[in-house]
Amino acid sequence: MEKDLENANPTILSVSELPSRRRKGPDARTGPDAGCDKIVFPRHHWPYGATSSSSDEDEDYAEEPLDEQDIYDLISPISDPEHPHTLGQLSVVRLPDIHITPSPTEVSGPNALVTVRVDLTPTINHCSLATVIGLAVRCRLERTLPPNYRVDVRMKPGSHDQDGQVNKQLGDKERVAAALENDALQAMMNKMLGGCD
Amino acid sequence: MAQFKQWALEYVLSDDDTTQGALAKKAAKEIETSRASSTVVGNWAASVQRWMTAAPGDDDRMDDGDDGSSGDIIARAKALGFLAATLEALDKNTLRSDQVLRLLGFFGAMFSYDHKAGITASAKALRQLCSMKGFKPDMGIKVLEDVCKIKEDFRLQMATTRLELYELFHSLVRDPAVASELKQKHGAACGFAVDLLQLCHSERDPRNLMVWFKTLALLVSDFDPSPEVTEEIFKTFSAYFPISLRSSATPIGITAEDLKEAVRACFSAHQRLAKHAFPFLLQKLDQGDAVSVPVKVDILKTIKACIDKYENPQTSLIPHTNKIWNSLKYEVRNGEVKETIDATLEVLRAIARKYEGPRANLAAFSALQEYIDLVFRDCRDDLANPTYTKQAGLLLMTVVTANIRAYLLYNASFVEAIRENLRQPKSPAHTRDLLLLINSLLKTRMELFRARHEAHPDDEEGLRGEAPEHLQSLFYDVYLAAWAVKAKKELASEDKDILKHVIQGLGILVSQQVLQSDGTPALLCSGAVCSEICFLLGTDIIRPLTLSPREADAANTALEDEAVQSLRTIVSSYRNGYVELARRVKAETTKRGWDSPSEYTLRALRDLLSRFTYIGASQIPSDIAADAPSEVPYSPLQHFVTLTSTLLEMLPLSSRWPDVEGGSANSHLISSLHASVIWFRDACSEKYRNVSLAEHADASANWLQEFASLPEDKPPSMGELLQEDDPETYTFFLKLGLLTLRRLYRQASSTGASWDERSLVQLSQMATLVVSQLGLGLQTSCNLVHEAFNYFHPAGQAPASQALPSLARSLLTLGILQGLRPPALAGLYQPGGQAEQLMCDTSALGTAPTRESDVRAAIGLILANKVPSSSDPAVMQRVFDFWNKWWNDATANASSSTLDPATFSFHNKLGMHVLAGAAYRQDSRVLALLPTIRQAISSGPHPVARAVAASVSLLVRLNDILTRANHAVVKALHRQWVYAHLAKPLLQDAQPTGGSGDTAATARCRAAALSIASHCPFAFYQDDLALLVRLIVLNLSAAGRADSEAAGEEDAWEQALAALGILDSILHHEPDALKGYLREVIRGATGAYQACLLPASSSSAGGLPEGERSWPTRAKCRLYALRVLKVIAERIEDRLLVAYAPPTNRMLAVACGDPTRKVRLEAMAARDRWLKFAD
Repeated sequence: MEKDLENANPTILSVSELPSRRRKGPDARTGPDAGCDKIVFPRHHWPYGATSSSSDEDEDYAEEPLDEQDIYDLISPISDPEHPHTLGQLSVVRLPDIHITPSPTEVSGPNALVTVRVDLTPTINHCSLATVIGLAVRCRLERTLPPNYRVDVRMKPGSHDQDGQVNKQLGDKERVAAALENDALQAMMNKMLGGCD
Repeated sequence: MAQFKQWALEYVLSDDDTTQGALAKKAAKEIETSRASSTVVGNWAASVQRWMTAAPGDDDRMDDGDDGSSGDIIARAKALGFLAATLEALDKNTLRSDQVLRLLGFFGAMFSYDHKAGITASAKALRQLCSMKGFKPDMGIKVLEDVCKIKEDFRLQMATTRLELYELFHSLVRDPAVASELKQKHGAACGFAVDLLQLCHSERDPRNLMVWFKTLALLVSDFDPSPEVTEEIFKTFSAYFPISLRSSATPIGITAEDLKEAVRACFSAHQRLAKHAFPFLLQKLDQGDAVSVPVKVDILKTIKACIDKYENPQTSLIPHTNKIWNSLKYEVRNGEVKETIDATLEVLRAIARKYEGPRANLAAFSALQEYIDLVFRDCRDDLANPTYTKQAGLLLMTVVTANIRAYLLYNASFVEAIRENLRQPKSPAHTRDLLLLINSLLKTRMELFRARHEAHPDDEEGLRGEAPEHLQSLFYDVYLAAWAVKAKKELASEDKDILKHVIQGLGILVSQQVLQSDGTPALLCSGAVCSEICFLLGTDIIRPLTLSPREADAANTALEDEAVQSLRTIVSSYRNGYVELARRVKAETTKRGWDSPSEYTLRALRDLLSRFTYIGASQIPSDIAADAPSEVPYSPLQHFVTLTSTLLEMLPLSSRWPDVEGGSANSHLISSLHASVIWFRDACSEKYRNVSLAEHADASANWLQEFASLPEDKPPSMGELLQEDDPETYTFFLKLGLLTLRRLYRQASSTGASWDERSLVQLSQMATLVVSQLGLGLQTSCNLVHEAFNYFHPAGQAPASQALPSLARSLLTLGILQGLRPPALAGLYQPGGQAEQLMCDTSALGTAPTRESDVRAAIGLILANKVPSSSDPAVMQRVFDFWNKWWNDATANASSSTLDPATFSFHNKLGMHVLAGAAYRQDSRVLALLPTIRQAISSGPHPVARAVAASVSLLVRLNDILTRANHAVVKALHRQWVYAHLAKPLLQDAQPTGGSGDTAATARCRAAALSIASHCPFAFYQDDLALLVRLIVLNLSAAGRADSEAAGEEDAWEQALAALGILDSILHHEPDALKGYLREVIRGATGAYQACLLPASSSSAGGLPEGERSWPTRAKCRLYALRVLKVIAERIEDRLLVAYAPPTNRMLAVACGDPTRKVRLEAMAARDRWLKFAD
């Protein structure tokens, strides 16, 4: 018999509904008539000589500081420990609940200290897996952000019955380190972070 | 006698198959030589006598467990094996009937007496005997009787022995003569069959089962067994249903699907099984959740096979139809698994199709009616229930559209049922599902209509008498009513879904055809309705142009795209629709001012023109009659003509031709004309795919002369006499294409000063496309090479050189030259002619790099490549000599202060392009210039060497201009050829120990070698890895240092990028080659990354234009450096990397904060791979 789920019926967003980064400028046309757009309506019209190469690509290499959407893209694909969905799909992680201080445009240099705060919203307010989810988010960010970034993961105020206690656990470096020593927890973390690549 | 005995003895004593085979062949030869004399055959048979005598006693002793006698059994088996092997080797015509009979008796007796030793050999021998010429059909009866005497011991035989026997049964039963004897002897009682069933009832081996199932199917279908025997046979094979196969480590060549097919063939063998098969299968199906999906699909496929194969449906199918329907309907109504639903629908369709046939067959006719009535009764109510609408519609669709007769009988009721529900839909989703059903019905109707010639003649007659009113009224009753949703201010996603289906439905409705009384097809809807539909959909695609940016809703694009698809379908049947659309597009577009349009309006114009072009040019229209007379006589090209003439009439939309990002109004018109040629060419390739279009693209006529006699605005005859399927359409299309090109070229060259760059490039590319499609005959007879410089102006009226900017002039020339075939260019290769001038004349290039120098280089590339074989070789020789001297002079003038680096650099570009063009066709004279190039790189003065080293990769770079489609001469191995003759020597020169010892020269050689290698696939430089890796390490260690002797800053980044690219390729193909250099490579990649990361303060200060210009290159460099580190962690053994992990992990952690997003993501991926070393 299947194990009873804490929240058997969560609201699930489809992947297309998740916040994503839109490309600058007008979107490429996708209609049936767009078949020869690359030839007749090229983005860069000069096909000859050295100036022809990779102008499209050059835009991909522009300077773009690490922003909230980047953080969201890093943590939203983490799998939920209970449901076969991601934290993004379950709205545990939401774009407006990610805060970067100072804001990406104000960062003064590559070594300036930056704090990333993520407020999580469990699907139900008595979720016993909230700590595990917080741990996974913390783990993911610490493994991917540069050393000058400080990570602060919390439960969104009012979203969990015991948010104070959970926040305390997630904020305690030693407890976090000790938790990650635990083989069972480590295995669960690996499973949750498995879909992030 | 003694001889046979000796051979038999040797056979028994031998364990080697080859020896045994040889002995059997000897014995067979002996019998054949004696022409099967009784004595010889007797002696041969008696040769095994000594092993036969103690047979019964042996058995007893064996049973008593006396091991000492087992040898006798084995020897006896082998002795019998000798006889069987001899029979196998014996010519089938040798033995006489009496001898065959005697031998059959002998071996048959083994099945009564010697179950241990005799069966394997006897089975083999019997099979051989049964295939001999002397075998008589009546002997088959005896064989079967003899074999059946083995009884229960049959299952104790080895699987291979049983297989022999199954093959024997199958061959006997399949033999018509034996079968006839069996029928005569046993009649309907089929005693032999009952014996066989008893004998084989517990078979489990898959190979044996395959043969046994075939035999059972034959027994049912060919032997007319009594109902009792039929039931016994049915019980035998149905016991195996559903059959599966356990996976085995040793594959046997049979799959579970083979077994399923074999059992299915038994079920469907004959209609006499119907009364057993259908109830049995339905009972299995009705077990509910106990049946898995694969089993359910197997059952459904078996039911379908039975329906398809059983003849006389009155007795085999009709009695079971009710039960089948009642069991199956829930599989669709409540089913969730696609496979099951599909298989169920197949069964239901098969039932309806079974009742096809001549109209006179009243039984089938009424059976079909009863069947569909049954389905209708059960599904009608479900149509009103939104939960089941789709499923009920699917069931009804399946049976109503199973064949033309069913369609004719019931489509009106079906449409009426849907229409009723659409009047009072329960929800938007309900409306959507009902619309979907109507659309599917119309779509399937057209499929039936098109396939009418393959159906029964009565059905075609029925289609002629079809009453179309209920379909004609669909527009007003159904589609227009649902279209009302559009009036809403805010469209919800459900409304959009409904509109999407309405738009699709309108397209399908207009393309519906009916058969007229004379048998020709005509459009179902009246001209007025078609016109109204075109207007509705046309409004959808024109609207964005009429809106302001604020009103425009990007989400409506999907609906507009649907409208485009529908209009495309519509105008291919209702041809007037396109003329109407063209008028509206022209009117809407020209009534606006285009002198200073907004970005939004320009985008809307681009979309409108692109859609208008696609609708008219991407499909060849059909000649279908309509009640309204066509505005123009039918021609496959009529839409193409309407399209091009409309676009040409609109040109120019504005007197201004500004160079704006994204294109101006006029450039969109030129792009659309270009697109029209692409779309129509593709439509022709699709329509006439079985014909070689090249044959229809050549002629010796001078089309340009024909055009000269035409009034400027009138197109030539557009092939009104052409039929839809006539590939000559392609010829007329090319003619029209050339005419359009002529007009545009004249226009551009007359007012060239005003045409913007984008329009000229589009026109040039369109010219390449049109010209390249023409055959050599046409290219020559039209003297297109002359037009490359005359721009289609009448003789003596070519525009003066000062009247046309040289860039426009060059682009127009390039367009035609690029599409010409080499022999058509012959006129240019006169001594001192245009080709020579264009390839050598650097004076016209000026002193600064411009767009024109790019175009001139491209022209040089083409002319050096498409050299006609008939041309004077001295011309090209002079060109090569010129460049050889030019590079030599530049190298020699080391101290010349007159040499301007920038001028040299882009003159050198033309030279390199000329060389590349010749290298593409592997002109051996190129080899004579390569040492000069090497010399220039290694010992030329600094700017010369740098420019040559930086441009040398042009020789191996893949070029879009020289393609086979454009008739360029491209030798398959030309890049390898250049690599071997230039890069290999450069690799040697670049080694720090070799060459001149001049470090700057070595650095330039290194840069050139790496630049060439980075544009080559791995296989090219696979043999030079040792040399190359050393250069890469050297290069990376110097990355970012703008060495004034070797390269500028930009060049230094390009070199680092090339080195990292090669490294990535090596890591993917042969990572072991880097094992000895890991420390240097990791350090090099790390260093390259750090060097490429310009401090933020410098870049943001804006004071470093060089740094800013090189930003994308440096970002790419960083990306490649990180990729190299990532791939190292993936492809190199962990133990070799542990030592480098701490610094690399630190560096990667910092790289995760890279200013460029793409680089950051690569850094995260690399960090993830190196994380395993962190603990």
